[in-house]
Amino acid sequence: MARYLGKRIFYLVLTLFIVTTLTFFLMKLMPGTPLTNQEKLSPSQIHLIYKQYGLDKPVWLQYIEYLINATHGDFGTSFQFSDQPVSYLISSRIGASIQLGVQAMVLGVIVGIVIGAFGAVKRNTWMDSATTIISILGISIPSFVLAVVLQYFIGLKLGWFPIADWGGFSYTVLPTLALAMAPLAESARFVRTEMVDVLSSDYIELARAKGMSKTGVIYHHALRNSLIPLVTIIGPVAVNIMTGSMVIENIFSIPGIGNQFVQSVLTNDYPTIMGLTIVYCFMLTVVLLLTDIVYGIIDPRIRITENRG
Amino acid sequence: MKISSVAKLGAVAAASLVLLAACGSKSSDSSSKDLASDQTLNWYEKSEIPTMDSSKSTDVTSGEVLNNVNEGLLRFGTNSKLHPGVAKTYSVSKDGKTYTFNLRKSKWSNGKAVTANDFVYAWQRTLDPKTASQYAYLFDNIKNATKVNTGKLAVNKLGVKADGDYKLVVTLDKPQAYFKMLVANPSFFPQLKSEVTKLGSKYASNSSSLVYNGPFKLTNWNGTSDSWDLVKNKNYWNAKNVKLKKVHTQVFKDPGTALNQFNSKKLDATILSGTQVKQYKNDKQFKSRKSASTFYLEMNQKKDKIFKNKKARQAISMVIDKKQFVNHVLADGSIVANNLVSQGLASKNGEDFTKASAVKSASTKNVAEAQKLWKEALKETGEKSISLDLLSDDTDAGKKTTEFLQSQLTKLPNLKITNQNLPFKTRLSRSQSGDFDLVVSAWGADFPDPISFLSLFTSSNSYNNGSWSNKAYDTAVKNAEGKDANNSTARWNDMVTASKTILQDQGIVPLYQQVQPQLVNSKVKGLVYFPTGANWDYSQAYIGK
Repeated sequence: MARYLGKRIFYLVLTLFIVTTLTFFLMKLMPGTPLTNQEKLSPSQIHLIYKQYGLDKPVWLQYIEYLINATHGDFGTSFQFSDQPVSYLISSRIGASIQLGVQAMVLGVIVGIVIGAFGAVKRNTWMDSATTIISILGISIPSFVLAVVLQYFIGLKLGWFPIADWGGFSYTVLPTLALAMAPLAESARFVRTEMVDVLSSDYIELARAKGMSKTGVIYHHALRNSLIPLVTIIGPVAVNIMTGSMVIENIFSIPGIGNQFVQSVLTNDYPTIMGLTIVYCFMLTVVLLLTDIVYGIIDPRIRITENRG
Repeated sequence: MKISSVAKLGAVAAASLVLLAACGSKSSDSSSKDLASDQTLNWYEKSEIPTMDSSKSTDVTSGEVLNNVNEGLLRFGTNSKLHPGVAKTYSVSKDGKTYTFNLRKSKWSNGKAVTANDFVYAWQRTLDPKTASQYAYLFDNIKNATKVNTGKLAVNKLGVKADGDYKLVVTLDKPQAYFKMLVANPSFFPQLKSEVTKLGSKYASNSSSLVYNGPFKLTNWNGTSDSWDLVKNKNYWNAKNVKLKKVHTQVFKDPGTALNQFNSKKLDATILSGTQVKQYKNDKQFKSRKSASTFYLEMNQKKDKIFKNKKARQAISMVIDKKQFVNHVLADGSIVANNLVSQGLASKNGEDFTKASAVKSASTKNVAEAQKLWKEALKETGEKSISLDLLSDDTDAGKKTTEFLQSQLTKLPNLKITNQNLPFKTRLSRSQSGDFDLVVSAWGADFPDPISFLSLFTSSNSYNNGSWSNKAYDTAVKNAEGKDANNSTARWNDMVTASKTILQDQGIVPLYQQVQPQLVNSKVKGLVYFPTGANWDYSQAYIGK
């Protein structure tokens, strides 16, 4: 297990390094400058500002300096917010994003499991069709469309929850719903398929034959066994939520990092784009690593194969 | 020997003072009956405050907040009229090169006095190469400014001096009629040296690391937050005329969300996007705020000899149906521009500059006439058929513009147009190096004076990308900037002449002027808008019943 972990952590660092390098050089190729009124500045003034930001140095030197600083958690100073370190920008905003992401994940997965299990148990009835329709809609309707619909009907017309802004639990309801729909649909579909398989397997037949009650069988045997593979989709679902949050945070005006990511791209704020890319990449690889570890724990076959190989 | 024409300028200042007093008394009449009990304005911005350091601010959001929490020597009012700020009065020497500002006794929010030294310090800091200010060029005409900014001279050599605590003396290189307008911009606001040096790089990085001398104080801003509050500043010299207790501002990047917030009464104002404009154009809460930026077409005379021919340039202008373009293609509230100078920027005796300098031939659309002129131009220049590149930005508006112009221009016989939509930086460098046939350019004025636009097209100006050159124009602009700088009527006439000349000769083809379409709650009264710089002043605003 230790060797396996070590190997995985090495890959994690390698991934981060490659992503950092690629983003850095792609940034350099991007058209546009951090200057907001370039057309009105004289060349000597432009040079002065570039010097201030260290942009007058050769690219390779900028790259090495960046790498060294990044390992200390120093992602430089934002171009858009003058004198604000990128690390501060991220740390002051990441809380909202994580709260929203976790809420959406938990809500989506739990409701998804319930709906999926329900569909499998009531297979081939109208209730099964209803759950299928819900999951198809959930997967095919983009979160930003759902967001606007929720905002208009629940926020504006019914006035149940705030339309946008950030300031307490009630403000998180609509964005969480909008974000949770995709993981909900994904896990519902997954759980239903798995459970249909499990329900027709021999050990379920046996349990039923032993005289266990139907709910007992479903809870103790069918549901538990169909949840194991669900762990594998947590990774992709987390990715889904992270990318979705960029748009959702903009629509609901949530002070998170997704919102900031979009803004920094629009304002050519290279240090912020870089810093956020690294943070996103880090979160993603960590989630993937965690799911693999958890999977190894609950399904011993994975660990054994790894050890042998 | 400095001779100040105090009499004349004193009268101007006095007139403004009277006006301000009138404003005050009018609103104090209304104070008892007409004011709602909650004097909170819920305001909206499209983006966050990037910095509150007036030496570094370049964007509209920070400019707007700075203008409401701090105050310069003078303040902009409705229609960019100047009002006294920290300076009670000012005088200009006869040669127009020395400005003397007499400061009132006023306080910073921490109780310290606002003195002339705070201005000297702030301006020196802005020009200090270490600050790397992007607006340093606004100071270019102050004595030694360029040398200080490039590090050739020490900052204390800058032509601004404090004469005691309450007198500020500014020396210019040459007379500059609009210098008084510049000092109302946030870049010219005072800064308290003790705060700046004490806080170092933390200065202005959040609402508690700043001091304020304006109508409001900033609170609840952590340097990157999406919302903030302005609360009334009790130490402001004119605090008794500030009605609002609080301005709560929230950033909404999605115009749909902002509109929903407005409709649910959570916001008192919103800015509309193109599609929303169509829906709300006739709403009584709809306001269209003319901004100070014009989009125009430049024709490259250096590269294409056809554009040396005036008939060809006129044909280009006449064949374009600008009305159809702004109303049905852009459809974002923008208005037709028939003048290089933007509408609503400057006026004299109640007449807008664009009216005073209107030229009929440059504002008529006549396809048949255009085709005739184009044929003649082809004949005169000995060309059979021509194919030209049309350059613009790769933005949504840029693409709409080139597509529309292509459809219009190809109505001219034997003309082929190829569209090129490029990223801003590339477009800019190609414009500047003259690597284009036709380019859609834009200019936004930094101060409310027509010269801000007109100075662009003198023969030697680096923004004159099309290399259009006209002696009468050059002379008129030179006079406005030189010998007539101290004579406002002569200067106005020079600018009208220049503007008429470029339009008659069709040196450029004005296309459209940007407008900020807005919904404002009808209970909000007394908001002041002006088209350049900071745009908004809420110090006179109040919420009616």
